[in-house]
Amino acid sequence: MKHRQILLANVDFPDQATIAGYESRGGYKTVRKVLGMDPLAVREEVKKSGLRGRGGAGFPTGRKWDFIPAKCDKPVYLINNADESEPGTFKDRVLLERDPHLCIEGMIIAAWAVQSKWSCIYIRGEYGYPYVRIQRAVEEAYKHGYLGDNIFGSGFAHHMVVHRGAGAYICGEETALLNSLEGKKGQPRLKPPYFPAVRGLYDAPTIVNNTETLAACVWILENGGEAYAKIGTEKSPGTKLFACSGHINKPGVYEVEMGYPVLDFIEDELGGIWKGRKLKGIIPGGSSFPIMRADQLQGVTLDYESLVAAGSGLGSGGFMVMDDTTDMVEAAENVAHFYAHESCGQCTPCREGGHWIEKIFHRVAHGRGLPGDMELARSVANNVEGHTICAFGEALAWPAQAFIKRFPEEFTARIEEARIEEARIEEARIEEARIEEGLVAIGNRNGKENGARPSMHYQLKSNH
Amino acid sequence: MTQGQQASSNSVMRLSDRAESRIEEIKKRYPDVRSAVMPALYIAQEELGHVTKEAILWVADRVSMPPVQVMEVATFYTMYYKKPVGRYHVQVCRTLSCALRGAAKLTEHMHKRLGVGPNEITPDGMWSFEEVECLGSCGSAPMCEINDVYFENLDPQKLDAILQRIEKELPNLRLSTLNDELGAGLAGAPLSEVRESGVRK
Amino acid sequence: MSEQQSEHKAAPVMVNLTIDGKPVTVAKGTNLIEAAKSIGVTIPHYCYHPHLSVPGNCRMCQVEVKGQAKMNIGCNTAVAEGMEVLTQETSQKSRDAQSSTLEFILINHPLDCTVCDQAGHCKLQDYHYDYNAKPSRFLEEKEHKVKALPLGPTVMLDGERCIMCTRCIRFCDEVTGTSELGMLNRGDRSVIAVNEGHELNNALSGTVVDLCPVGALTHREWRFNTRIWFTKETDSICPGCSTGCNVKVAVRDRQVVQVKARLNSQVNKEWLCDQGRYGFERFLPGKRLTAPQVRGVDSTFDQAIAIAKTISGGETLVFVAPDLLTEEYIVLKRFLDKCVKQSQVAIAYRERKLSKVEEILISPDYAANFRGAEFSGLVTGDIQAGYEAALERLRSGTITNLILVGDRCLTAEDATPEICAKIKQASLSIAILTDAASSLAASATVVLPERSILEKSGLLINRKQRLQYTDRVVEFPDGTQPAWRLINQLAVACGSRIVSAQSDRDLTLEILASESRLAGLKIATIKQGGVCLDSYKPGDANSRPSSSDARV
Repeated sequence: MKHRQILLANVDFPDQATIAGYESRGGYKTVRKVLGMDPLAVREEVKKSGLRGRGGAGFPTGRKWDFIPAKCDKPVYLINNADESEPGTFKDRVLLERDPHLCIEGMIIAAWAVQSKWSCIYIRGEYGYPYVRIQRAVEEAYKHGYLGDNIFGSGFAHHMVVHRGAGAYICGEETALLNSLEGKKGQPRLKPPYFPAVRGLYDAPTIVNNTETLAACVWILENGGEAYAKIGTEKSPGTKLFACSGHINKPGVYEVEMGYPVLDFIEDELGGIWKGRKLKGIIPGGSSFPIMRADQLQGVTLDYESLVAAGSGLGSGGFMVMDDTTDMVEAAENVAHFYAHESCGQCTPCREGGHWIEKIFHRVAHGRGLPGDMELARSVANNVEGHTICAFGEALAWPAQAFIKRFPEEFTARIEEARIEEARIEEARIEEARIEEGLVAIGNRNGKENGARPSMHYQLKSNH
Repeated sequence: MTQGQQASSNSVMRLSDRAESRIEEIKKRYPDVRSAVMPALYIAQEELGHVTKEAILWVADRVSMPPVQVMEVATFYTMYYKKPVGRYHVQVCRTLSCALRGAAKLTEHMHKRLGVGPNEITPDGMWSFEEVECLGSCGSAPMCEINDVYFENLDPQKLDAILQRIEKELPNLRLSTLNDELGAGLAGAPLSEVRESGVRK
Repeated sequence: MSEQQSEHKAAPVMVNLTIDGKPVTVAKGTNLIEAAKSIGVTIPHYCYHPHLSVPGNCRMCQVEVKGQAKMNIGCNTAVAEGMEVLTQETSQKSRDAQSSTLEFILINHPLDCTVCDQAGHCKLQDYHYDYNAKPSRFLEEKEHKVKALPLGPTVMLDGERCIMCTRCIRFCDEVTGTSELGMLNRGDRSVIAVNEGHELNNALSGTVVDLCPVGALTHREWRFNTRIWFTKETDSICPGCSTGCNVKVAVRDRQVVQVKARLNSQVNKEWLCDQGRYGFERFLPGKRLTAPQVRGVDSTFDQAIAIAKTISGGETLVFVAPDLLTEEYIVLKRFLDKCVKQSQVAIAYRERKLSKVEEILISPDYAANFRGAEFSGLVTGDIQAGYEAALERLRSGTITNLILVGDRCLTAEDATPEICAKIKQASLSIAILTDAASSLAASATVVLPERSILEKSGLLINRKQRLQYTDRVVEFPDGTQPAWRLINQLAVACGSRIVSAQSDRDLTLEILASESRLAGLKIATIKQGGVCLDSYKPGDANSRPSSSDARV
C-alpha cells in the first residue's frame, strides 16, 4: 500500500537540509501564514487534527498546549524532546539529519501557539551527526532572520538553542529533561507540583513535545486539522513513523498511515522475516512495551487503540521483530539490563527492583535458574509498577512481566535444564566422593576438598 | 562562603583561550548560567582528555555551582569519562535490536583483536572499548560508535576492516564542542546509514 | 511585612477529611503525614522531613485514597475536603506497598546490624518489624560500595547502608547552604560523596547523623562507644547557648554517650550545632567538688554555712553564671532581697560574632538562661555592660563581700590570676561550684558543692523568651546539692527560708504557683514544645496554642 508521506516526503533530497532546498519544496511558507494567525486559532487546528504525542505517551498535542494560559507573566518555554533513547527507536534521527528545517518550522509554529520566545532542542549526546545537521540548520535560520529578535519580520522574537545530552535514557522523560537542562542530574520531578505547563523549565510554564510531533504541525497548519484527522483512524489520526528493526529483510524508518494491519506491514513493507524464518514475536512500540506473540497479531492494526487492546501499545513506534530462533530468556535479560542501567536511582522500587529483575533473568539465562524464579521476577515487577515517581517504573516492569507471561515455556524449560544439570553435577560429585573415600580410608581428608564444585543448592538452601 | 566560591579563590586552572571564550559564549545562550554545566563538561573533557579533578573545579567556577553538584552531573551521564579512554573509544551497542543481529560477535571480536577487556586501554593508548546501550541505530544493526561517529551494518569482518583503516589513516572522529563540528570521519565512509522509506523509494 | 500581615495572621482555611475512618480537621495545605500525626496515626516515612523540601523518593509513606487507583505518597499529598484516606492501619494495599518498599531497601542493605551504631534506634530495623517482617527472597549478590569513609571531622559514611533518602544532601543545600554533599552515579550505584578535596565541615554538620534514618551516617566522636540499649535517654535542653535546642541525651555510666536533636519547630527544628552536641562533657568536669571547703580545706556543711551566713547585712558583689535554672535565679533574687542589704548583681554575658552558618541556629552567647536571670529581676538593661562594670569594680576596688554562683559566673577569659587574686582579697567570698579544679574554687573563702545543669531539672527561658523545661540527664554525685537548695539553706541560716520545696520538681511547682506571670502553666504543658512568654496571657489556657510537633 502507498502510505501518504507527510514527514518523510522530502528526506531523500540531498539539499533538503538547506534553506534553499527546503524552501524550493514549499518550506517556511506555512509558518509565515501562522505568524499572522491568532495563537489560539493555531491551537484549534492542532486540536482538530487529533495529533497525539509521538514520543511514546500519545497525549493529545492540542490539549497539552491548552495547559498554557493565553496570557502569562512568566516566560513560556518550548522544548523539542530529541533525546530518542527508547530501544528500537531511531525515527527522530531521520528528521533531524535529513529534514532539520521541518523540525525548526514545526517548533516555530508551536512556539507561536503558546507564545514562547525561547525554545531548546534537547538532542541525545550520542547523535553526533544529527546534532551538527540540526545545529547548522538553526544557524542558517538565524542568518535568514527566521530565528532571532524579529522572525520573518513579524515582530515576534524567538530564540532557539540546541543542547546536547550526555547519555541517559531517563532524560527523555519530560521533567527529567527539564532538570537536566537546568544543570541538575536528569532525575524526574514529582507531579504535583511540577507539571511542566505550570512549573517547568526554571519554574516557568513549559511545553515539551517530541520531534516527530512538532514536525507534523507544519502539514497540519498548511492543510488544516480536519484534513489530518481524515488520515488514519478516528482515535489515531494521521501518519506515524515506525523505526523497524530485528529479523526482517528491510529494516529502516517507515511512514505509515495509522490503522494499517501489523501482519501486512511485516510481510509487505518490511519484506517479511529474514533468512526464510518464521515470525515469533514483536515489540511494537519500543522496549518499554509488552512483547507480543506472533499468534496474537491477527487483526491487530498499527494504531494506539488496537495495540493496547491486543495487550501492548504503539509507544514510540520502535518496531522490533523476532524470528523463531530468538531465545526469549536472553531477550528478557537483555532488556532488563537496559532498564537497570538507565534507572536514575531516585526512588526505591525502580532503583532496587530493576537490577534485581536483571539478576534473576541473568541467573536463569545462564543455567542457574531455580523453581520459583519466574514467580519472584513477576512479583518484583508488580511491586515496581505503579509505585514510582515516574513512568520509568512501568517501562521497567512491563517488559519483564510480558516476557514471562507470553513465553513461559522458555523460562520453565531453562529452569528445568538447570535442575537436570545440577542433579547431574551432584551425582558426579557424590560418585567422586565415593571414589575418594575408597582411596583416603587411611586418613588424608584434604584431598576431598579439591575439585568438587560446590553445589548451588547447598549454598542457597538457607535462603530458600 | 560556599564551597563553589572557595574553589575560585583557590586559583582554579585556566583552559585554552578558545575554551574560555567558548564557555562564555555558551553561557549566554541560556536564561540561567547553570544550564551550561553540560557543555562545560564537554569542553573540559575535550581539552583534558577526560573529566579530571581539575575539570570539576573549572566547571564549578565557570558556571557558579558547588563542585559536588558538578560531580553529580559528571557521574550521572555515561558520556563524561571519569577515567582516560583510548584515542579511539569503540562503543558497541548491546541492546535488543543489535543483540538480535549479532552484537555479541562484535564485542567478542573487540576482545580478541585488542587483547584488553571493556573499559581498558591498549598499551599504545590507541584503543579502548565498552558495551553501551541503544544508540538509536537499530535498523542498521549491529553497529558501534567510535568516538562520536557511527559505524553501522557491521559484522566482525567489516568492523575489523574499519579498525585497520582507522589505525592507518588516523581520522578525526570527534564532535568538537570547542569548534562545534564533527570530524570528517573515515574517508568514503558515510556518517549515517539509516534507511527510510521516503516517497521517492 | 505588610500592614495586614503584621496585624494578625489570617485564620487558616480548615479542611475536613477522614483517615482510617476517623474525622480529621487540619489547615489547608497540610500533607497526609502531618494530618495523620495530628490524630496520633503514624504513616511511616524516611525521606520526608517537615523542615526540608519534599523529594518523595523513599515511597515508604504510600497510602490509599478512596477513588484513586494509584497509591498516593502521604508526604506529597495535600488534604482535600472530603478525602478518605486509608493508611496501613486499615488498608491491605497500603500495607503491601510499604512492605514491598522495605523489601526493596533491604535487598542491597548490608547485614551490618551486629557492627552498626544505629542498631537499636534504626528506622529500618523498626519499620521492618512493624511493617514488613518477611524473610528475604533475594538470592543474588548485593551491590558493594565504600564503607567507613570519613566525610569530614564529625561524620562517617557507610555507602552500602545508605537508603538514598537525600535528607543529608537537602540539609546541606537548603539549611546551611554549604552544599558539601551530593549523590554520585545513578541507579543502584548511587552513593553519597563529598567532592574530592572537600569535606563536610559546617557548624551544624552533626545534624545529618540525626537526620539519617539508618546507620549510613554516624558520629565519628562516638563511633562504637556503646549500644544504645545500654543507655538511658532523657529529653532535655542543651545548655550551650540561649537558643535552647531541644535534645535527647543518652547517658551510660554517668557519661554522655550520644546527644540527638529533638523536633521543635519553634526552636531548633531538628537541628543541633556541633559545638553544643559534642560539647556536653564541658558541663561535667572531671574533678568534682563533693564536700564544702573553707579556705581551701574540706569542711563540713555546718561549718561552711556558719561562716557564709555572715555575708548578710553587708554590701555584696554578686557574679552569677548564665546557665542556672530560672528557679535558681528567683531563689537567689529573693535571698539577696531578704538577707543581703546592698548588692550589685552581674551575670556573665558576652556576645560573640557568629558566621553565617552559625547564625542559623546558634545564639551569639554562651549563656543558656540569661533570660531567666532577667525574668527573676536579678539583672536588667544592658547585661553585658553590667557584667563588665562589675568586673571592673572587682578589678579596681577592694571588695568586702563576694558571691560567685556557678562555674561560669566569670567567663574563662575573665577568670585570670589577677581576678582570682582579687577574689582572695575579699573579706568574705562564697562560691557555689561544681569544678574542683577551677581557680575560683581555689580562691574563695567558702566553697559549696553544687550540681551541674545536666544534673538538675527545671525551667529555662531561651533568647526568644520561650519557657522550656529541662530534665536531669545524668545522676549527680553524692555530696552535691543544686544551687537553689544551697542558697535556701544559707537563707535559713540568715533567718529567712526562701522556699520549702525539697526536690527540683517540687521547686518548679512552687515557683509556678508563686509567680503570677506563669499562672496556669503546668510542667506537662511546658514540656510540649515550650511556652512563648511574650504571647502567653497568665491564666488563659487558650493563649498558649498546642504544639504541632505532636509526639508520635
